[in-house]
Amino acid sequence: MPRAKLTTKKLAERIDLNYFKHPHPLRRWRTILSVAMPALALLWLLWIAFTHNARVYSSGRMSASHAVLTARCDECHVKEAGSFSAAAEDRACAACHDGPIHHANQVFTPKCSGCHVEHRGPRRLAATADADCAQCHADLRTSGAATGFAREIRSFGAGHPEFAALRPGSTDPGTVKLNHAVHLKANLLGPNGPVQLDCDDCHRPPASQAAWRFAAPQPKPDAAPAKDVPPSRIAARAYMTPIAYAKHCIGCHGLQFDKRFKESVPHDTPQVVHAFVVQKFQQYIAEHPAELRETNSSRDLPQRPAPPSPRQVTPQEWVAERVAESEELLWRKTCKECHALSVAPGAPLPAVAKSNIKPRWFEHAVFSHDAHRLMKCVECHAAAPSSRETSDVLLPGIRSCRQCHHPGGDAVESRCFECHTYHDWSKEKAVKGKLTFSHLLHGD
Amino acid sequence: MRIDRTHRAWLIASMVILGAATAVYIPYAANSPGGPSGGSPIGLTFGIVGSAFMVFAGLLAARKKVALWRLGRAQAWMRGHLWLGLLSLPLILFHAGFHARGPLTAVLLALVIIVVASGVFGAALQHYIPNVMTSEVPFETVFEQIDHVRSQLLAESAQLIGRVSAPLSLVVAAPSGDLAATADAALGAEEATAPLRDFYELEMRPFLENPRGRNQRLADPQAARGIFKGLRVLLPPGAEETLKSLEEICEEERQLRRQARLHHLLHDWLMLHIPLSFALLLLGAVHAFMALRY
Repeated sequence: MPRAKLTTKKLAERIDLNYFKHPHPLRRWRTILSVAMPALALLWLLWIAFTHNARVYSSGRMSASHAVLTARCDECHVKEAGSFSAAAEDRACAACHDGPIHHANQVFTPKCSGCHVEHRGPRRLAATADADCAQCHADLRTSGAATGFAREIRSFGAGHPEFAALRPGSTDPGTVKLNHAVHLKANLLGPNGPVQLDCDDCHRPPASQAAWRFAAPQPKPDAAPAKDVPPSRIAARAYMTPIAYAKHCIGCHGLQFDKRFKESVPHDTPQVVHAFVVQKFQQYIAEHPAELRETNSSRDLPQRPAPPSPRQVTPQEWVAERVAESEELLWRKTCKECHALSVAPGAPLPAVAKSNIKPRWFEHAVFSHDAHRLMKCVECHAAAPSSRETSDVLLPGIRSCRQCHHPGGDAVESRCFECHTYHDWSKEKAVKGKLTFSHLLHGD
Repeated sequence: MRIDRTHRAWLIASMVILGAATAVYIPYAANSPGGPSGGSPIGLTFGIVGSAFMVFAGLLAARKKVALWRLGRAQAWMRGHLWLGLLSLPLILFHAGFHARGPLTAVLLALVIIVVASGVFGAALQHYIPNVMTSEVPFETVFEQIDHVRSQLLAESAQLIGRVSAPLSLVVAAPSGDLAATADAALGAEEATAPLRDFYELEMRPFLENPRGRNQRLADPQAARGIFKGLRVLLPPGAEETLKSLEEICEEERQLRRQARLHHLLHDWLMLHIPLSFALLLLGAVHAFMALRY
């Protein structure tokens, strides 16, 4: 008997009309999994709560300097009673860090976390993005007096002006005359014959242990670095030792004043020099009273008859004459070799202009010679070997820096923080630490 | 649901939303000090909108459960589920700034990618599989009833074999008075149908009883044709109707198997998509709470 033709009706007749009352395994498993997966997630969260492991909620790894606080979320995320939020506020940062204000006339103060972004992995928190600085400096506005700073700086390569010391009309304010070209030439006359000076015969960081070639036997100790150098940059290798006569000049530029004395006058004010010279001559004439009777043989010039009789002067007169001669030499030649002297009408002694040698040229940036020790001095200070005027500014320009400091994988750091600091560290206040080992490591 | 012309408005709206979101994100990411952050106002907006889209997509399950819940047509909900669910991925990526630095956020990002990807996969299957089903499974039945239909096929085939094998049928059909001849004829008929019985016992019944069996020749249409062709040679012409019926039953079984495979292909991805989406919604809510708090 042939099989009945399979029509739609025949097919439909096969269906158990109550099939929907019995869940199919596929549907059942879907329901089970739909409950199991969220349940699993909930179990995970409960386990986290039970083990107090809040790190799972962290938005990223801590920076290297804060890594010790990874398990101590509440050190920064302080929840006030009755408040929902436990965001890391500035007061949490202030518990360990003092962040002095940048400028008194800034129009807004960003939050600590606005620039120092945590939970971004093991990176330097001080390595802030240019955009953090450009928040203000891309369109600089100030409260109060107008600023002299450039108004549209976005980065070192975009809008950063030429260094202030090199802008048109800027000169070295130093008054000590120095001709670099002469000092760096070959076969310069030295104390013991010809010498060839090198840059580091005069320019070295204080931490340098090498002896100064042309220094006095016991030079004065070095001056401290400038006060507004940030803590991270205080190093006796960043800036050069200020130029000092006793270290750098005395070897060749002696201050002899009279052939009777081997020693030089002290490198000091005219008043001190005068007192020294007077004292020396007084001492001398007390020991050599015979010189009070002058024969002037050294002044017996040809075709000029000798005076009728030798002079007899008092010690005071003798000292005064010798002092005058010596000071004539000093004020008109020796000291004037390097210094600018001026004599006010009626003044017994000249005034020496302050040397004004700048120990640090970048007043609003930091620079470390130590970090750049791989470079030859003249690569950056290219104008030095040919400089003849004191007023020449021998700093490298911004173009020189940009050769290495620019964005890109094959260049060195060029973000703002590399040279500039936001916080005015001269206003830093000490912070008293409060953490203990038991709290930090065990949460006690 | 097939994505056809009726989705045009949704497509356009989604493209506009995506375009606007991208236009906001690019300058925001470029100009943010420290990079884009989920906690920034713009990042938070992306997160809220993306989460809202995910919640809406998740509510489809509720809408389906409560058929009487007359808040829009089911089709509209389904379209919304597709398009807003798809949009939630780029919005969440914009919210995260394409980063997932923490454990929970990493899990969430993985979940949202898996859920959306599985959804896209499922939506793509929806365009292909039904056509295949129509062309390759003309005897399509209700999936949940496949086993029930299969049991009916088994019973029918057993009945057919029983009829063919029964000597009584020949005795009943034999001319009256000729019993001995009939008995002889019956014995001869039994011997003649032995190949069919052997085939049924050795091949066809296991084929019908064990849909997951391996190395079943009847599972291959060409091999099955060859088997039945051989049986036709061996069996008397009287068995032709039975053979034809058995062949149809085998074809039905093959279609049932094909239908089951296609059904699994069309629906198994939901085993991943639905449970993970519930987990995603739960963990997402926890993340939102904790992130806003801290």
